[in-house]
Amino acid sequence: MTAASPPIHRETWIEQVKKNLFRNWWSGLITVVLLPTTGYLAYRAFKFFFINGQWEAVQVNLTLFMQGTFARDEQWRLIAQILIFGLAFGVGLGTASGAAHDRADDAGLVFKRSSLADTLKRMWSLVAFIALLLFFASTDETGNLINPYLVVAGGLGLSFVGYQAFRLPRRLRNLGWLLTMVLLVLGFQVVSGFDAESWVPLSLILGSAAYASVPTEMFDTAATRQAVKVLAALGAVAVVFAIYRVVDAPGIGWDEWSGLHLTLMTSAIAIVLAFPLGLLLALARRSTLPALRLMATTYIEVIRGVPLITLLFMGQFILGFMVPAGTDLSDITRAIAAMTLFTAAYVAEIVRGGLQSLPSGQTEAGQALGLAPPTIMRRIVLPQALRAVIPAMVGQFISLFKDSSLLFIIGITEFLRVRTLVHAQAAFRGVAIAETLVFVAIGYWAFAFAMSRESQRLERRLRVSR
Amino acid sequence: MTTPQTTEQARPPFWRDIRVIRVAGQIGAVVVVFLILNWLISNLINNMNRLNISTSFDYLFGPTNFQIPYDPQFNPRSPVWEMTLVGVKNTFLAGFFGIILASIVGLIVGIARLSENWLVARLATVYVEFFRNIPPLVLIIFFGFAVFTFGPFPILSESWEVKAPGSDDNLLLINNDRWGVPGVTQDGSVAIFWAILAVGIVAAVLVWRWRTRNFDRTGQPHHRVLWVLGVLIIAFLIGFFASGQPFDMSWPALSENRRQVVGGFEVNWGFLSITIALGLYTASHIGEIIRGSILAVHGGQSEAANALALSAFQRYRFVVLPQAMRIAVPPTINQFLNLVKNTSLGTAVSFAELTALTKTSIGNGRPAFQSIVIMMGIYLAFSLIISLILNIVNRRLQLVSR
Amino acid sequence: MKRSKLLAAMAALTLVLAACTTDTGTNGGGDSDGGTLQAVLDRNELNCGVNESLPGFGVVDDQGNFSGFDIEFCRVVAAAVLGDADAVSYKPLTAEQRFTALQAGEIDLLIRNTTWTATRDGQEGVHFLFTTFYDGQGMMVPAASGHTTLEDLDGANICVLSGTTTELNLTAVFNARGISFNPVVFEDNSQLRPAYEEGQCEAWTSDASQLGSWKFTLEAEGGEEQLIMAEIFSKEPLGPAVADGDTEWAQVVNWAVMATVQAWEFGLNSGNIGSYDGTDPNILNFLGTDNFNPSLGLPSDFAVQVVTQVGNYEEIYNQFAELAPLAGSVNDLWSNGGLMYVPPYR
Repeated sequence: MTAASPPIHRETWIEQVKKNLFRNWWSGLITVVLLPTTGYLAYRAFKFFFINGQWEAVQVNLTLFMQGTFARDEQWRLIAQILIFGLAFGVGLGTASGAAHDRADDAGLVFKRSSLADTLKRMWSLVAFIALLLFFASTDETGNLINPYLVVAGGLGLSFVGYQAFRLPRRLRNLGWLLTMVLLVLGFQVVSGFDAESWVPLSLILGSAAYASVPTEMFDTAATRQAVKVLAALGAVAVVFAIYRVVDAPGIGWDEWSGLHLTLMTSAIAIVLAFPLGLLLALARRSTLPALRLMATTYIEVIRGVPLITLLFMGQFILGFMVPAGTDLSDITRAIAAMTLFTAAYVAEIVRGGLQSLPSGQTEAGQALGLAPPTIMRRIVLPQALRAVIPAMVGQFISLFKDSSLLFIIGITEFLRVRTLVHAQAAFRGVAIAETLVFVAIGYWAFAFAMSRESQRLERRLRVSR
Repeated sequence: MTTPQTTEQARPPFWRDIRVIRVAGQIGAVVVVFLILNWLISNLINNMNRLNISTSFDYLFGPTNFQIPYDPQFNPRSPVWEMTLVGVKNTFLAGFFGIILASIVGLIVGIARLSENWLVARLATVYVEFFRNIPPLVLIIFFGFAVFTFGPFPILSESWEVKAPGSDDNLLLINNDRWGVPGVTQDGSVAIFWAILAVGIVAAVLVWRWRTRNFDRTGQPHHRVLWVLGVLIIAFLIGFFASGQPFDMSWPALSENRRQVVGGFEVNWGFLSITIALGLYTASHIGEIIRGSILAVHGGQSEAANALALSAFQRYRFVVLPQAMRIAVPPTINQFLNLVKNTSLGTAVSFAELTALTKTSIGNGRPAFQSIVIMMGIYLAFSLIISLILNIVNRRLQLVSR
Repeated sequence: MKRSKLLAAMAALTLVLAACTTDTGTNGGGDSDGGTLQAVLDRNELNCGVNESLPGFGVVDDQGNFSGFDIEFCRVVAAAVLGDADAVSYKPLTAEQRFTALQAGEIDLLIRNTTWTATRDGQEGVHFLFTTFYDGQGMMVPAASGHTTLEDLDGANICVLSGTTTELNLTAVFNARGISFNPVVFEDNSQLRPAYEEGQCEAWTSDASQLGSWKFTLEAEGGEEQLIMAEIFSKEPLGPAVADGDTEWAQVVNWAVMATVQAWEFGLNSGNIGSYDGTDPNILNFLGTDNFNPSLGLPSDFAVQVVTQVGNYEEIYNQFAELAPLAGSVNDLWSNGGLMYVPPYR
């Protein structure tokens, strides 16, 4: 006879309650005190949300909260942006999923793909917020240009279509990343317009992508390959430039943005701009050259030692005088500059942490191969270090997103300040103040919570993969 | 890369010589930074001169011209630097009490998140996820509204008075504007008291050392805390009576016109809102740090404590927390730093801290550049002091560990 | 040799930087070569600094449109200069940053309930123009409190908005009379109103026009009856302001704004100005129909544009129910005993 397996004891719910809530006398006491308190608070919250709350102030001004004073007859730009970003989100997610599949294949593991629905489930707070917006929008009689339901459905549909990028064959994986980048830039420019110097970022992305991904296997000498790459990059730049010459479509620059759109975009723009600056600062702080190290350290420590609001004041009151007379820097440009300079110092510390976490053996291995220091940095150190700092960067982005509420104090009409506008209207002058504040808090919370969940997940995955 | 016998000819050309590149690179970087700074500052000076904006710091000695909220002692004719000092004081107070609140709540929440009680753990998680993901500015405005403006408290002239049992003195004066708590007043002979207390403190340190040495030598229980407390209490009592009872309790009460709190110590709603909001916000971050640090303490440590039959409290107090603290202290002090910086949002609740006062001052015609530079310098000083504390604490913790 | 190479490189770098310095754009307002007027004409849009949350003077409706008394005067200037009252880009500004925005050339014109004071005229580098609204600071208390004079408020909490002259006036008046008080300073009225209603402060001080509109709102919504004290304790002439040192632009703005009062005086309004068939030479001059052009830098028909597209002063004023009745107030026409008096257009 084999040994009898231990009897499986299924806990009844009473036992579970006892174990989880009344394990010993003080645990029981805490439960007895906390349970009614929680219940009461939940009751108050319920009453506020569903019975006493006067939500007309939010309902009527929903569009104002979303886009602020952004011109209403240009609203299609924002809708196009949502759709393009939806597609970009899908493509990026699909490509990431495909790349994960590739790695699993290499490691000989079975890969279970997480579907788009899983991602949406992870971001439930955001989904709930959008549902709340749709609920308010459905009772809004002001006649928006386009039904918000269609916009959300379109965005979801496009991200589903984009998600199919995981089906791309492996050698086209880079194309997926490239497409995501191009879509992000396009989505940005559909609002900001295709005029003037706006061709520069797109041509830079496309040019460097062409340089990196043009197939050169058929050429023999390194020199020819190099030449082909350079030609491809120049060609891409020329194509973009030509397109921009033909399509001269001015848009709405960020000076005219406001509302939640501005809140999201300023944080995104600032972190994107801060990244290269932060990277340089981190490298300078780690460098063996004392002058560089000193300057970088001073900058980082001074900026980290002062509150963001002082830098924003600096931007509002002084930055305008630090450029030659007549140079037009709008308040939003100056605020973005202040946020960028602020964030760069934090990004530098994050990147420095990533660089320090890398075992020195990596660098030494590069040196043993006789690689030049810049090559070691570019090919060996940075790719690994930057991968390791992704969760911290998301954390920094969340922090910046929350900090963008400080633009309220310097009078920029971002998400929080829309409240001020609403409560100056004759119908809502000083009424429903708590309701609008709660709505704004929910908005901030939904985005920050979704992102923090995502960053925790990334962190877990990176830890596992190491 | 060069061999010892390198001759002049064998050296690489100077543009490939690492030493030259290093020096040139540094000079180049310094020059570029200098040129940019120079350009910015010369523009600034040109523009300010062109627009006839003052570039001197004389305004610091001119009158403030406005009344500081909740500071009746402040004379609006006082110079601007005195106003700045009031701001520094208020920033310090909000930061100090915020840090205390954040530490206590953060510790509780961090431990509660790991509680075996499902409800406690769940509530702690909800707390963390709620507070962590809302901008502090929104929280401050929310607390100002929820607790005071729309809160349950009466208006100033109808304050609730919590009496000390069996007396007419108010222990607490509560309303929606400013709270009164008991304070202490002192008279002239107070110096004798402090002198005696100082002697007592020295004695207490000596007793502490003695008990420690005794413990190390003999292994008898040291009861250091009890001993030291005893010494301090004795010193306090001797000092108190020897100097003729220099202290008097001062109880808060409403003034005759019921518009002021006289006696005691007064805290205003802006201070309370910002301290509570920032304390709770920072506590959610500290809670996560504590939780992570507790989890980082090796599981074997807890098991060992269990094997020694320590109670849950003893396990935490003597085994887990001391080790977790070593990991938790540096990031926690960073959070303290963030809290102090976030007190700059006091303007949302009429709290007269440094930034709010500077902002009002600029709005009333004081030069922006100078005001902002001074303000940044003060915050920088706060940060440097906290960083200094962080370094000292770090060094001590490391000494303990090795 | 090494030196010289390095020097050459540095020189090149300096040149590049210098090049960057010199070719920065000159499209802002302020002090570009062609002056602000030319800049506005080139841009075909007027950048107007406004308040976005002051009932009656500047608010944003749920469609994102600006409206208010100050906003109308931005439109007046746009109509006069560009012939299109809608060619305005509104820049909401806080009280603290409005002068910086003007000095830095971010806006061409500031119409944000700004009081004309000596400090601002001198030290802040601002040039004030024709006063569009005469106001004064007042004090409001709940009628039930029984307070009627400032002395009754000794030691009381007084609600006030931050960064405005209101705060300074309050301090000056109370100090001069030896009354103590405690200011409770708010960023905007959406915070201030509940604080006042819930009794956190006993009194609310602001410009009388504002208090009047809040009294109306509070009482209309079924709140307590409010009392605005009889004493007005400051002069608050509110009007447009431009940056110092550009007289051409100042002149243009001034005459565009004054045209609304002149039209009122002539009895011209948006309804009848197009069909004027009289022979009054002054009016014909004003309308620009007889090729009269005083070389102000404005088109000769600017007054017609202003009045047809926006209206005369009275029409503008009466659009905003929040403001106190015009007739008989200090803002009435001089011939009716008010202060609205403009130099003759001839």
